[in-house]
Amino acid sequence: MIIDKNIPIKMEESTSLILDLIYRLKIKDVMSRNLVVALPEDPLDHIKALMKQRNVTGIPIVKKDRLLGILSIDDIFKALDNGYIQELAEKHMSKKLVMLEEDMPLAFAISYFDKFKYGRFPVVDKNNLLVGMITSRDINVGLLMAINKEVARMEELLAQNTPVDAQNIRKTFRIRKYDFEHAGNASNRIKKLLVDRKLDPRDIRRVAVAMYEMEINIAVHSEGGSLTVAIDNDQAEIIAKDAAPGIEHPELALQEGYSTANEWIKSLGFGAGMGLANIRRVSDEFEFQSALGKGTVVRSVVRFKRKKENEDDH
Amino acid sequence: MKIDQLIKELDCEVLHRCKETGVKDLKHFVVSDLMSDVLLVDGEVDLLITSLSTAQAMRTADIVSAKGVIVVNGKAVTADMKAAAKEFDMTLLKTKLSTFEACGAIHRLKGS
Repeated sequence: MIIDKNIPIKMEESTSLILDLIYRLKIKDVMSRNLVVALPEDPLDHIKALMKQRNVTGIPIVKKDRLLGILSIDDIFKALDNGYIQELAEKHMSKKLVMLEEDMPLAFAISYFDKFKYGRFPVVDKNNLLVGMITSRDINVGLLMAINKEVARMEELLAQNTPVDAQNIRKTFRIRKYDFEHAGNASNRIKKLLVDRKLDPRDIRRVAVAMYEMEINIAVHSEGGSLTVAIDNDQAEIIAKDAAPGIEHPELALQEGYSTANEWIKSLGFGAGMGLANIRRVSDEFEFQSALGKGTVVRSVVRFKRKKENEDDH
Repeated sequence: MKIDQLIKELDCEVLHRCKETGVKDLKHFVVSDLMSDVLLVDGEVDLLITSLSTAQAMRTADIVSAKGVIVVNGKAVTADMKAAAKEFDMTLLKTKLSTFEACGAIHRLKGS
């Protein structure tokens, strides 16, 4: 990978995704192709009107798609100050051109904006013909769109139901606060995996109940958290973790029927005050730690005691 | 009892129908609007009777491997709930009867 000291982020500390993006994206992916251009024989006051009309501050001067120079709004100010606004573009345009090529990675453009203090760069193709212009705004928009796409793809990957192998399942689910549209889905998916594996229905029920209660607890009571499930041939271990807000009276929370849920939560079918008690009831091992301001961790292990009666044992 | 008897007796609207429920003899009913109470049940669950008309009721019913859900009080069933019924292939019925009336009717059917 090319390391460029002109890119204003520290390479060694950046996420691989961002680095990957600024090298994977090409200038042609983000540049604007909707060009406002003028001819060398156009008078400066025509270009001034064009700038105002199209709301741009720099106009490439071209002949047959070949870039000859650039006229910026500064050149127009100078022409107005010095009384030569009627003269032709070719006489006053800047011919010292810094250009980018359309196939260069976006990282090049970012470093150019840092190195040269121009507001825009013309972009040319392999044959040196003008194909676009690039501004910082184009880079911002292009990066935002690409990041958005990548994050969506990552979220989908996280949500996908892909066990590591047939025997051992290890998955972590992110559970969001008040996301009742999805809360419970992770448990339904794990339950289906266990049904497909033909475990005893009573064991499946125990795992599903523990996991479902944990999932709902995170959605109802926390600021969001994670649910990690590890399943092998002998047992299922489920760990629910959230960072906030923690439980003020952990000992009360374990009591059957003790609930801090409001009416709104109850109208959604939650808050019976049975969550933790239910998890403890179905677990072979149960751990629960919580403190106000420190978040909550619940761990449950369900050992598979029974093999399904009709299952062959060899 | 068979699901068809129940649909007739409770005058149910059938929102989704799973084939398996049609042949099964329904014996085990759970009634609750609080989902943790449903999860508390140890034994088999054939049908969940509830006035909770959201996808959460279907997800809870799936956790206990119920065959179907009856929504009482004629409550409007959300699109999410119908989608979940299809996803889990679980029978979803709706009746205008109250929880009390629906349970009474089921009880009579069981006795007959």
